Amino acid sequence: MSSLWRIWVLASNTYREAVRDKLLYNLLLFAALMIASSILLAQVQIGKDDRIYRDVGLSAISFFGVLIAIFVGVNLVHKELSTKTVYTMLAKPVRRWEFLVGKYAGLLSLLAVEVALMSACFLGVLVWTGAEFHIGLVWSIVLIYCELALVTAIAMFFSSFTTPYLSGMFTIALWIIGHLSADLRAFGSKSDMPGLKELLEALYWTLPNLDRLDIKADASAGRPIELARVGGAALYAWLYSLVLMSGAVVLFQRRDFR
Amino acid sequence: MIRTRALRKTYRTGFWMRAVEAVRSIDLDVKSGEIFGFIGPNGAGKTTTIKILTGLMMPTAGDAWLHDLPVSDPESRARLGFLPEGTFFHDYLTGAEFLDFHGALLGIPKAVRRERIPKLLTRVGLGGAEDRQIRRYSKGMRQRAGLAQSLINDPDLVILDEPMSGLDPIGRKDVRDLILSLRDEGKTVFFSSHILEDAEVICDQVAIILNGRIETQGYLDDLLGQEMVGAELVVEGIGEPLHAELSRGARRSIVQGSRFLFEFGDEAAAEKALDNVRSSGGRVRSLVPKRRSLEDLLLEGLRKEAKP
Repeated sequence: MSSLWRIWVLASNTYREAVRDKLLYNLLLFAALMIASSILLAQVQIGKDDRIYRDVGLSAISFFGVLIAIFVGVNLVHKELSTKTVYTMLAKPVRRWEFLVGKYAGLLSLLAVEVALMSACFLGVLVWTGAEFHIGLVWSIVLIYCELALVTAIAMFFSSFTTPYLSGMFTIALWIIGHLSADLRAFGSKSDMPGLKELLEALYWTLPNLDRLDIKADASAGRPIELARVGGAALYAWLYSLVLMSGAVVLFQRRDFR
Repeated sequence: MIRTRALRKTYRTGFWMRAVEAVRSIDLDVKSGEIFGFIGPNGAGKTTTIKILTGLMMPTAGDAWLHDLPVSDPESRARLGFLPEGTFFHDYLTGAEFLDFHGALLGIPKAVRRERIPKLLTRVGLGGAEDRQIRRYSKGMRQRAGLAQSLINDPDLVILDEPMSGLDPIGRKDVRDLILSLRDEGKTVFFSSHILEDAEVICDQVAIILNGRIETQGYLDDLLGQEMVGAELVVEGIGEPLHAELSRGARRSIVQGSRFLFEFGDEAAAEKALDNVRSSGGRVRSLVPKRRSLEDLLLEGLRKEAKP
């Protein structure tokens, strides 16, 4: 029996657990309402610009995706530990890395379905309103998914050694900083304070640069987006996720289940 | 089947990371086909030892093997069935889904799972509840589902952590019967318990753990011996003078309505009392010779521990 099989079994169970959680449906409902609300917002805006549909749609997919990645991600891993269901799983010939990768894969499939559902809703709004569709919107959604994979890896990294509350807080903090890292670097380069420039430069290179994955503005405005930019950003997200998951495995491997 | 040598586990706990020695030095030898009772009061180190054996904790020092493989090797758990204390479940699953998930995790083919799951659920007394979510199970039913989970791979070795804890008398009897039937099938059962009567009824071998150390280990007959350490006599229809006289010679005496119970420290004293009762016209209801019990062993151990 291979590791791949055990990962598949763990991932399927994680997916099943998540889809039986009412929280997910509530978040999806809010996301759908938010995407649909762009129709109302378009009525009250000054001028006629169908960009509002694309702005609101992409932002809703991104925001609710991150919410689901953090809350479902942090809780799913922690629940296995706090309810001690992990005992019966790890007392089998299951490697600890297989357990973590299985959970991660289950969450990734959940996020894929959730992004697909929100995207379908978004597409429905574009068709309904007759707003313009660009291929850039697809690339933007692809990168939103990559960002969610990275945020999930951050949540799993923290979940492997701390409480869900702290994991959630740390993940949200990193997500915010990740979107501001370029600004922090710029701020540091203008600072005269000794050491601050070096510190912010180091943070820029160490912390995840989520701005790289954010092409919503260009996609919404219909500006051309090079495939190399999308590919580079996606590769960055997955490599960063790999590093975080490796760290989570190292920490989880040494953990005693009391 | 199970072997440990100088097994130790020290925790760091609390804000000041105080060291707590949960397991001090444990040597265990559990042979194939036995029921082995791991007995001790709460906090003695039973669960910690079991967690080391099942790979949930790493020992601070010493070694442990299952099926001659070190416990650090996940393959040592391939033919193991394990029921953790308190039995924790994915309670959004139904009983059948729960077993199917654990069976799949062990790589059991789907066709075998499909055939084995209903039989197992029936065996543990959950027939008819397979499609109900575990969150709707009673405590006893959850324990039974946990037991079924521990048997899904038809293991050679079953480790059960406090399997009778929290069960009603019928549930306890069912678990005892199940453990005995597992031995009849040639399986080895290692179970921890602080319920001494259960252990005394079903175990071949026991180890008593106190304060992280094995106090006594061996076959039950060797440990408890065959000699009588006393007798319990129940009589009725005796007058107050005889009651007072028998009470003076007894270790303990209790009045139960019209009956009188006397516990004597040796058989000879009990026989003498028996003669007295008969000659005075009293009626003897029962005379039960008492062997040394696990409780006696445990109390002896606790007394030894308490001495400076």
